[in-house]
Amino acid sequence: MIGPIVSSGIVSAAWDNIFAVFLGMGFGFALESSGFSSSRKIIGTFFGYDFVVVKVFFTAAIVSSLGLLYLSYMGLVDYSLLYIQPTFLASAILGGIIMGIGFAMGGFCPGTSLCAAAVGRIDGLVFFGGMFIGVFLFSESFPLFENMYYSGSMGAKMINSVFGISPELFTFFLVLMAIGMFYGAGWIQNKVKKIEY
Amino acid sequence: MEKKYALPSVLLVVLALGLVILPGKNDSRETDPNLLLSSVTEKSRYLSVDQITHRIIENDPTLMLIDLRPTSQFKTFALPGSINISSDSILSATNIERFNQPGKDKIFYANADLTAEMVWMVCARFSMKRIYVMKGGLNEWFHTIIEMKPVPVAASSSDLDLQSFRNAARQYFTGAGQKTVVPASGQSGEKVTVTRKAPGEKSGGGC
Repeated sequence: MIGPIVSSGIVSAAWDNIFAVFLGMGFGFALESSGFSSSRKIIGTFFGYDFVVVKVFFTAAIVSSLGLLYLSYMGLVDYSLLYIQPTFLASAILGGIIMGIGFAMGGFCPGTSLCAAAVGRIDGLVFFGGMFIGVFLFSESFPLFENMYYSGSMGAKMINSVFGISPELFTFFLVLMAIGMFYGAGWIQNKVKKIEY
Repeated sequence: MEKKYALPSVLLVVLALGLVILPGKNDSRETDPNLLLSSVTEKSRYLSVDQITHRIIENDPTLMLIDLRPTSQFKTFALPGSINISSDSILSATNIERFNQPGKDKIFYANADLTAEMVWMVCARFSMKRIYVMKGGLNEWFHTIIEMKPVPVAASSSDLDLQSFRNAARQYFTGAGQKTVVPASGQSGEKVTVTRKAPGEKSGGGC
């Protein structure tokens, strides 16, 4: 096993932040080059004229899942050492709803708003400012939400274990779902009036 | 969808199907004895009671504390958030699934080290990852965190910091040292002076 290189001790944990900076720059570059700094492009998902957001994220999910499972199969990565964000069901559902509303209203998610702000878009800067105020207010009033925040704790849950299937079989269904979505999105896009932006 | 995407789509499906139909990898669950010996001799499996206390207080989501003592003792007292598993059921299907949860540090403890060491050894032999032993067990935790000790006269600043952390942790776990002043009956205590804002006074700042 050679990966993950930090958890396996091949590279010191002190490098974590250095990697984070470079990965963040790469992520930002990929978002910007996919056109994600335009709120009109992102909001196209909700109006059916541009599905690039779901296409990019589904592609990222299936490529990384397949890559990780094949590397694990070949003995190059031990994915049991990867950090999995623990699931807090109630706060995840509520946070998802709030974020969805903010996404549809503002046309950005947190990462894309930073991209838009970085290339000097006014709407991106306003969104980022609003997000900062929201984070500040949430942090200051956290004791009020603390119980709800930590409720429904399920630990580091993997979605395949929820369905009781192997990660490989889940990835197979995910790939089928993603390809179905790619074709479905293309079909909807052809039916919806094109918008120039 | 454009035709140029047909080939990548087919390729992705074939790759995904390949994962499903590939023969199961020879995932030997037993650790090589040489590897086991080297992990036994190195001491990285030990976590100190201070480290664990800090993570409990921080509400660390990656922490999984496993109490190996009998249920009766567990019900009397256990570290917050710990789960009780008897050492003889450590390899049951439920527990193996629990220990194989990715992203969790499994920390074993009992009253002393022996039971936790034994369970650690079995789990290490079973190729489980991120397993640790709380050094000294619950007895050590109690002596270090709960029992108050005098600070040596020649204590260094790091010793004082550690002592200060332990005092704070003691209060966290027991509430000890928090003094509540209750005025004696019939005494009204100090009179509180309330300074009210003058009417019409403008607030500072803002627009």
